[in-house]
Parts: sequence; C-alpha cells; structure tokens
Amino acid sequence: MKLREHEAKKVIKEFGIPVPAGFLIRTAAELPAHLDALGDKIVLKAQVDVGGRGKAGGILMADKKTAVATAEALFKKEIKGLPVKEILAEQQLDIQHEYYLSITVDRSSKQPLILFTEAGGVDIEITAKENPGAIKKVIANPLMRDLPPFMLRELAGKAPKEIMPIINKLYRVFLEKDALLAEINPLVTTPQGVFAADAKIIVDDNALGRQGFTVNRDLTDREREAEKHGFSYVELNGAIGVIGNGAGLTMSTLDLIEFYGGKAANFLDVGGGAESERVMHAVRLVASVPTVKVIVVNLLGGITKCDEVAKGIIAAGISQKVIVRLAGTNEAEGRCLLIEKGYEMLPTMDLVVKKAVEVTA
Amino acid sequence: MIYGDKKTGILVQGATGKQGEFHIGLMNNYAREVGGRGVVAGVTPGKGGQQVHGVPVYNTVKEAMCDHDIGSSVIFVPAGAASDAIMEEANAGIETIVCITEHIPVHDTMKAIAYATMQGSSVIGPNCPGLLSPGEVKMGIMPSGLFSRGNVGVISRSGTLTYEVVDELTRAGIGQSTVVGIGGDPVIGQTFVDVLKEFENDPQTKAVVLIGEVGGNLEEEGAKCTDLPIVAYIAGISAPPDKRMGHAGAIVEGGEGDARSKIARLKKNGVPVASRPSEIPDMVRKLFCGC
Repeated sequence: MKLREHEAKKVIKEFGIPVPAGFLIRTAAELPAHLDALGDKIVLKAQVDVGGRGKAGGILMADKKTAVATAEALFKKEIKGLPVKEILAEQQLDIQHEYYLSITVDRSSKQPLILFTEAGGVDIEITAKENPGAIKKVIANPLMRDLPPFMLRELAGKAPKEIMPIINKLYRVFLEKDALLAEINPLVTTPQGVFAADAKIIVDDNALGRQGFTVNRDLTDREREAEKHGFSYVELNGAIGVIGNGAGLTMSTLDLIEFYGGKAANFLDVGGGAESERVMHAVRLVASVPTVKVIVVNLLGGITKCDEVAKGIIAAGISQKVIVRLAGTNEAEGRCLLIEKGYEMLPTMDLVVKKAVEVTA
Repeated sequence: MIYGDKKTGILVQGATGKQGEFHIGLMNNYAREVGGRGVVAGVTPGKGGQQVHGVPVYNTVKEAMCDHDIGSSVIFVPAGAASDAIMEEANAGIETIVCITEHIPVHDTMKAIAYATMQGSSVIGPNCPGLLSPGEVKMGIMPSGLFSRGNVGVISRSGTLTYEVVDELTRAGIGQSTVVGIGGDPVIGQTFVDVLKEFENDPQTKAVVLIGEVGGNLEEEGAKCTDLPIVAYIAGISAPPDKRMGHAGAIVEGGEGDARSKIARLKKNGVPVASRPSEIPDMVRKLFCGC
C-alpha cells in the first residue's frame, strides 16, 4: 500500500530525516493559522493516491497573500478524476541542488538495492536510460541494521557529507517499516541544510497488520469485499467474468480471453481448497459486476474438489450464463451435478474461453 | 532429477497442523508408490513425542536431525513463523528447504534467505507448491496423478498453471524429470537462474519448460545463462499495470516486468514462447526433433 506524501514525510521525520515545515489541511479555512510558520513562499500539494499529480495540476505555488485563495481553488479541483480532500501546505525551499535516493527490493540479488544519483530532480527512468553511469548502486545485506560506512561513501561520492547519514536513516525506514520502496526524490540542498522535498513509501501488503494498518487503501470496494472472503481480485472492464484457482492459471485464463478476441471483466483467484460456500461467494461477487454477461469458471482440482465447486456454482443461482471447466479431484461427480442442472461444461480451458468469447461477441 | 531423490529423507515443519498432516499423508503415499523414504520426521514446537500418520514429531529440527538422516524439508507453518522455520532448518544443516507458506512479509523472506544462503542451504519458495520428480520424490503439494517420468524439466512461478502444463505434457506423452514450483513472491530463494543451473548438471533433463509471469525479469535472466533448450510461457499479457495479479510478485511496476517486453526479450535470445499453455507440448516436441 502506498503511503500519502504527508504520511511518508511523517515517517522519515521520525527517523531523523529533515523535511520542510508543513501542515495537512482539510479545508482552506484551516490554512491562516499556519501561515506564520510557513513563511512567505508556500507550496500547496494535493494528497491524492495517484502518480504524476504535479503535471496534472495538483501542486500549486502561492505566497502568504494568495495562499488561502489558491488552496480554495485546489480543493475544488479533480486530479486525474480524484477529488482533493487533503492538501499538504509546505514552506517553499530555496533549492541549490537536487539528488535522488531510493531503496527497493531487488528480486535478482534477493536483497535491498540502494540507488543514489547527483542528477536528481528529473525522471529517474530517463537518467537510467541516458546517463546510467550517473546512478550509483549498492546491494545491502538485509541482516545488517545499518549500512556500513564504505557503502555510504560509495553511494554519496562527492555529495555533501550530510547526505550519508540520511541514506542510512532511509535504510532504517526501509527495514523497520516493511517497505517495498522508500524514495526521496528530490533530496535537496538549501542554505538551511539538506531536506527531503518529497517522499514516497510503499508498505508490503503482507505486513500491513504489523505496521498498524487496518485497511488497504489501494483496493476498490469490490476488491476489499473479495479480500474478506480470501480471494485475490482485480477489477478490469470487459464482459467476461473469470473465476479460477491459482494466480497463474487465472491470469492465463484472462490472457486466453484476449487471445480469442474477448475482454475479461475481472481476475478472481478463489485460492486452494475452496469449498462450496466460498465458490458461491465468488460467483455472486463476479455476477454483481454490472458489465458481466457471462462467467468462465476454470478450476483445476488438486486440493480443490470439483463436486464442492459444482455445488457452489449451483447455490449461487445467478442470472448470467456460467461456462465451466473442471478437472482433477472428484471431476466426474462435479460434472454430473452441473449437467443435471443444465450448466455448460467443456473439457479444456481453450474451449470454455472460446465459447465465452462467442457468447459475448 | 534435482534437489533430491528416493533416498532423500524429508522433514515437515508444522507437522501437526491441518495442512501439514494432510500433506504428510499424501507425500508418504507417493513415497510408498515409488519405494522412496518420504517424510521421516515432523517438527511442531511443544508437540514433540506425538505421531502424524506414524511419523514421529519433534520439538526442534536439531532433535529430529539427531534421530534421522534428513536431506530436505517442507514448511507448512503460518506466515508469521515461516522465516524462523527457514532459519532453524538452515542452521541445522538441511540442504533443500521448501517453503509452501504464502503471505510472508518480504523483509522476513529477504532475511531468512540471506541467512540460509550463508549456511549453504537452498530455499525453494516461499509461496510455492514445492517440487516433484516423477518416480522419485514429492516434496510439497503437487497432485502426483498428473505427472509422468521423462526428460523435460519444468520451472514455474505458479501452482495450478504448472499442473495444467504438466497435464498437457503427460497427455502428449512427454514425461518430466523434475517439476519445480519456485514461488509467486517477489523474493524467492531458488530463481530461474539457480534451478536452470541444477538442470544443466542433471543427466536426465534434456529440455526445460519455463513458466513465468509478469513482474521482474528473472525469466529472461535465467534463459540467458543456460545452454539447455527451452520453451517458455509467460502469463499476464492482459494484466493491467500496478495491480497485483494474485501473487505478491505478479505486478507490472514502473513500466517494468510486463509480459510483452518479457516475451520479446526471450524471443530475442532465441527462446520459443508459447502464446497459450496448450501449445507447449508441440513446441517441446519440436525442440527434440530439432525442426
């Protein structure tokens, strides 16, 4: 789950990384109380869960006189379709140089990867393409709580020496906050010292509980409903509902829909060992999506028993057509139950998907 | 076959739990079928002295290692305890550690794998179905009825999709040497690179089916560093960016790890890529006849 800027800044501040003076406001009327602390030049940043908000008009500059009116205008805006409910009002920094610092989980080395470049302020992907030599990379051992000084020296290079402790502090944030990404872009030098002008933290969804989060904000309502039942669910926008067991098989079913020229409405993985009640909830959940005209069920029984699946499909009693492919444990029993009730059963995933695409064409 | 054979003694952590008990039964049924040793010991802290399907349960891995010759382990403990289980086994000197558990925080996995690597153990998983070498050994939860013995190795990030492909191969008369489910998490112990190295040193394996998905670039890294003939399949061509497709590791992030670019890179390296699972058997056959 992605933290909002003000949350990420609060976290890194707790770890001793300097951030600009700032206040979170929910109405423009809250702003005047903070104006003295913010100084003459102010930046207003919409706290919306979307990338590229600067280019979309979500970051506005103001001074003491214009700040309230600017905040009012920003609250009325929609940034990439999202309403602005919170604004982070910050002092503008007198920036001398911009750096980039990030820590991610490196799949290849299976360890934390720290990136630092003096060519900050621009898109890191562009730097990576045009001037890869400018990006310094270090792979850390996750069993160490601190980065050894030599790694900090390798990363910081000729940057001011105040940068090195900040890199280590962000590494602590990364480890202790179960981050998949901890990023400061830009990290800036000013006459008043070094500051994190922006901060981004993504917390591992599997660690939200121990990090004190009760809901995953990145999910839509229906995705959250699915999570309650233990399903993995992703909303798409086609006409063919999909229920599978196992992430790979379900993804592969979606791909096959595209291969045959159809469009999937969703990804739903019921998980292993699904019993009839879970299957029933899954079918009803997918059927509740307004765009769904037909549902493909593609299940390969290992721990999952096909007769349980069949009972769940029948119990769901939905109005849309359900086309089923079941294979594996108790396959014959499952097939009997479904055929008796008039459901369409086909023996392979290619056939069920083809049929569903035909129905929706 | 790789990562063990009939003679490998298996330890199960989380032996007295529902999953552990169920799969000890299935693993030992398979061992009886093929004349292997199967699961020889279980571990659940505080449950030492009990038995599960006739298998003795110990409080610690070290106690179990004193009484039995153990080469590998399968972990069924809950996510909060799994990284500790990996480290306990690595510390006791178990060579191959298969971790079935899903939803382990990535930082726990990184630490456990770093520790296991220092101890010289190989970790398969987490969030994986384990491995199966037909006619030799089953370490994990794969449904053995679909498998047949042969010369094709299979490496996959998935569970049921692997069974689908194995089923297709078996029906087409193409047997398997070892089928390894390496896991659906962003950080896993044995990656495509590591398993392909094992297959290269295995005289039984003549070709490999590589089943990948969106997220990362380890499929391409693996395919680049082997001389074995490969057929690949990548799931998730229809996956939208920044959405986790069931597996914690199946996500297109920052414009990286999408299926189309992975497929393009594999093809550029001369690896044939199937556009759907049902094409795989014919493509494997073509590898063998060289046409």
